[in-house]
Amino acid sequence: MKHNYSIFRRNCLMGIVLAVLLMSGPQRSWGQSEKASIDFFSGFEVGLYDFYFYQKYNVVFNLTPGFKWNMGNHWQLAGQARLTVINQLSNDVRRFYPSMLVLSKELKAGPVYLKGSVGAFSNSRYGFDLKAFLPVTPWLAFEAQAGLTGLLTMAGGWGMSPMGRFTGTVGGDIYLSRWNTQLRGVVGKYVYTDWGFQAEAMRHFNHATVGLYAKWNNIAGQLGQEGVSLTQSLAKGMDGGFKVTIMLPPYKRTHRTVNFRPASHYSLTYLVRGMAQYRDANQLYYTDPEENMRDGWFSRDLLKWGSHTMEPDFIYKGKEETE
Amino acid sequence: MKRIKISYILLAAMVLLPSLGHAQQYNGTSGFLHIPSAEMSHEGDARMGVHYLNKALLPDTGFLFQGEKYNTYDFYLGITPFEWIELSFTSTRRKDTRAVTGEVGFWRKDRYASIKIRPLREGRYHPAVAIGFNDVGTTAFNKERTDVQLYFTNIYVAATKHFGFGGNELAVNLAYRHYFRNYNNKWSGLVGGLSFRPAFFPQGRAIVEYMGNEFLIGADALLWQHVRIQASLIDFKYLNLGLCLQLNMLGKKYVVAER
Repeated sequence: MKHNYSIFRRNCLMGIVLAVLLMSGPQRSWGQSEKASIDFFSGFEVGLYDFYFYQKYNVVFNLTPGFKWNMGNHWQLAGQARLTVINQLSNDVRRFYPSMLVLSKELKAGPVYLKGSVGAFSNSRYGFDLKAFLPVTPWLAFEAQAGLTGLLTMAGGWGMSPMGRFTGTVGGDIYLSRWNTQLRGVVGKYVYTDWGFQAEAMRHFNHATVGLYAKWNNIAGQLGQEGVSLTQSLAKGMDGGFKVTIMLPPYKRTHRTVNFRPASHYSLTYLVRGMAQYRDANQLYYTDPEENMRDGWFSRDLLKWGSHTMEPDFIYKGKEETE
Repeated sequence: MKRIKISYILLAAMVLLPSLGHAQQYNGTSGFLHIPSAEMSHEGDARMGVHYLNKALLPDTGFLFQGEKYNTYDFYLGITPFEWIELSFTSTRRKDTRAVTGEVGFWRKDRYASIKIRPLREGRYHPAVAIGFNDVGTTAFNKERTDVQLYFTNIYVAATKHFGFGGNELAVNLAYRHYFRNYNNKWSGLVGGLSFRPAFFPQGRAIVEYMGNEFLIGADALLWQHVRIQASLIDFKYLNLGLCLQLNMLGKKYVVAER
């Protein structure tokens, strides 16, 4: 019975994602999405892993070249690879390997914004993903995400598992426009079979967003284990830190059919507790190589809510509408 | 005119700094030299810096190598997301012998977060009041936990009032600070100080303070709106130095580093 339910859930989610991908109704589209274009870009990742007391940091520095093919009408094919320049963390990782290849479609269905994605996501996951965002007022919105994924990695050789892991989150967002401040809370089931909740508070500045977050999950919290009370579990499983996203210049750009540019942003996350049960807690994946906490899930020209109501980070010469 | 102004600033900085030396902000928050104040950085300010810490500014235990205290440095990230709150993260380097090679260096570190909140802004007749926490978690209140390093753990409440005269500014600062462990509780209790910001060089200020056990004199300055330098002397002998890059993420420009 449980197996049947699992199959139902899998087919149901796959069906919805495919339906979103196949829908191409009369969506209003302008800005970059009115005309097909392809962007080649590269960002970078800096990892300072503070694991050992006898060493300052284990440094990882990667370049993350990628592309985005904007096919118009909010269809997008995006891919990314990882080129390791410095790696003091692991000898098992290839110097260059593909990390993402995603086909996605955004649309507005009544009051709800939907984004369906299929392909190889970040965090070595592949499968189907569906995101939904419901703005209720200019300051209140609800969000949900559901995914059916498996492991797919080429980092240290080919690795793949069946697509059977269900993830899902639901939550709410509050946006205080006077201070460009966003509060976000979600509960969910995550890719490493854990479940938990996360709360974030972030302020969007000019070209940068800084946020604090706290999270709890049942595995780090040892919930249900003998001798661990609920209070103890909350203390054991709680972690947090800060996040920073900096949008990378140039902020004035020219948009052509083929573009070469730096990645849209650089992001870093600091976690107070560095142990594996906290690092792996509340993990999901990105379905866009340039997904970040400032821009959220949806394109700026489709969803006008939250930070998308601020001045745009990038101004495109010769266009009224900007990203 | 601009060239004259920059030259004037540089000249004033050169004159002021060597003579006054030292400065706090060693943990990326605003304040005096070692004592906290109720002054705050500007909304949107982000700070990233490094601070040379004389051993006289370090706890009596925890920063010992082969039985002796040593000079070290820290680095920090700080931000003022709103005008009433500052947040920062500091990593202080600790000297040790590397396990594999036997090499002596600053391999270890002590990390802590700082929060400063100003519930009361300065008024015409009353001072600003701020409260703050350095490295405070639940373990700080548990005296039985001796396995956790809380070298910089303290809480404080500070009151600061500014007085202007002839374009100059005098700040009077009083704070009560409590350290949770005996590593450095010599700095617990009532502390206070004065700062003077001259009319001819508002970017800088001279500071004298009593930090609970020693006196501290120093100066700091915000140069070219983005570079903050500090220097101070503990008991007129022990030098500390700081260098900080400061940016305002709301795109605003300020002459004075904190208010």
